[in-house]
Amino acid sequence: MNNVLEIRDLATHFFTRDGVVRAVDGVSFDLASGETLGIVGESGCGKSVTALSILRLISPETGRIVSGSIRFDGRELTTLSDEEMRSIRGHQISMIFQEPMTSLNPVLTVGTQIAENIVRHRNLSWSAALDRAHEMLDLVKISDSRRRLDEYPHQLSGGMRQRVMIAIALSCNPRVLIADEPTTALDVTIQAQILGLMLELKEKLGTAIIMITHDLGVIAETTQRVVVMYAGHKVEEAPVEELFARAMHPYTRGLLRAIPRTDADAELAGRRRRLQEIPGIVPALTRPITGCPFAPRCAFVAARCRAERPPLEEPEAGHTVACWEMRRVLEAAA
Amino acid sequence: MTAIADDAVPALRLARFGEAIRRNPTILIGAVLLAGLVTIAVFAPWISGDPFRLSPVNRLRPPSERWWFGTDRFGRDVFALTIHGARVSLIVGLSVALISSAIGLAIGLVCGYFRWVDAVVMRVMDGLMAIPSILLAIALITLTRPGLGIVIVAIIIPEVPRVSRVVRSVALSIRSQPYIESAVAGGTRSGKLLVRHILPNTVAPLIVQGTYVCASAMLIEAGLSFLGAGVPPEIPSWGNIIAQGRTFFQIAPWSILIPGAFLAITVLAVNMLGDGLRDRLDPRLARRM
Repeated sequence: MNNVLEIRDLATHFFTRDGVVRAVDGVSFDLASGETLGIVGESGCGKSVTALSILRLISPETGRIVSGSIRFDGRELTTLSDEEMRSIRGHQISMIFQEPMTSLNPVLTVGTQIAENIVRHRNLSWSAALDRAHEMLDLVKISDSRRRLDEYPHQLSGGMRQRVMIAIALSCNPRVLIADEPTTALDVTIQAQILGLMLELKEKLGTAIIMITHDLGVIAETTQRVVVMYAGHKVEEAPVEELFARAMHPYTRGLLRAIPRTDADAELAGRRRRLQEIPGIVPALTRPITGCPFAPRCAFVAARCRAERPPLEEPEAGHTVACWEMRRVLEAAA
Repeated sequence: MTAIADDAVPALRLARFGEAIRRNPTILIGAVLLAGLVTIAVFAPWISGDPFRLSPVNRLRPPSERWWFGTDRFGRDVFALTIHGARVSLIVGLSVALISSAIGLAIGLVCGYFRWVDAVVMRVMDGLMAIPSILLAIALITLTRPGLGIVIVAIIIPEVPRVSRVVRSVALSIRSQPYIESAVAGGTRSGKLLVRHILPNTVAPLIVQGTYVCASAMLIEAGLSFLGAGVPPEIPSWGNIIAQGRTFFQIAPWSILIPGAFLAITVLAVNMLGDGLRDRLDPRLARRM
């Protein structure tokens, strides 16, 4: 499979008054064309910063990509000029944000906002772009699309606004769509509809998706491969079934145990246990971390974990993990 | 299908307009008063006689059938003077509002968006705001020949910072909205972002601020003319009519009270229009009513 996006040792740091925040510190992963990749982790683990780094949207006043490479279709994005980067944003790589309520400009009509992106990247006339916008609204299944073109965002519901965001993002047939918590602000029914729509359009248009979320349910339903991030590092990467069946990193296991279970098995076994939380919080990223970043919160911690950073190993094909004690973790699970 | 829809639109608009007026009568009252004043000012030469015709025999006559607003110490018709004076007030008010809004908008947008410009330009604006407009006008007029143009310029200079502060604060808050980030993620360049995404958001507060600037410009002009630093005495303005009537205030109060009342009503009308527009254009307030 050919990779549309290859990220190697990406490090994005923010320079604050309290010191350097290593929001992303040496993350590598690939995205194959047409694939859906999940990035999962707690708040503040560097998921969104990774996404913003790919589009080079880190505000230069506060932070920058300090090292690493981002190759899109063989082109190195970290060294492109601003002008070249602008022609990629919204065209070949587009992004959907978390807040559908505030991600649309309240004073412009829906049609204008979709058509604008098309005119910018496609050099179409305004009326041709509006026709295309109309098509896009049909594609994202907004009923009465002709009328909706002339409506303002406040006249649409949250779910419809997120559909409009998807319409804008896909209006130029991007190769990669980055969805940063696309359904967090929506209720579960709408969430399921939006995810279904994204997957359907992915099949139809062949767009690869990076799905950023803290919701393992979303990961299970939509992705093929998952990257687990913790404190700016990738701690585990595996195909989705493999991850849910045989997670090797204690952090991933902790995340999985924190999902409420409602299935019949748990009910029958009579063990409706309390949900287990992961003790402690994500470490402050202002000081360089020696050893494993998860060590202070880990149940399997050993002396070595605090002293030396575990390298990424590949105990099974396609399944990488950074943990010194992975054998014990697996035994404990068995 | 489309023909029906097209026909329905103007009727709908009219209905919505009527609804808005009913909910918010201050707009209507302000607009009607202002429209009346504009009509009077435009048709002043046809409505009243020559404001400069002196008639020493009829000095300081009280209001009567012949002289509706009485006469002043030269026997000039106060009605004719007041009506012609409306022209100066309205010209000053409107032109100051328009020009200072345009300049303030440009400065405010650039300052709100480009932070490195902001630090420098806003300090300059603070400096300008610290100058009392009356003093600045007196200084400017002593340097040049008195006239309407110089009065307008003198009022615009201290008003620009007021407008640009409002626009800047809106631009600052809009700039951090997710939809701006979203537009950047879509590859929009700065200029386009500013004009297309930020500018429309500043229109409502700008219009409201513009009406207040208009009202305060009229007051400042009247003050300047009263002090003799405004429009020259050969052009009647409410300020200089009041100034000339000052010495005879006890025996002929009408030559002060009537232009004063006109000034008050005009400023009130503009402020009512501004208040009404603010309620109407701010979606949060509009919904509550």
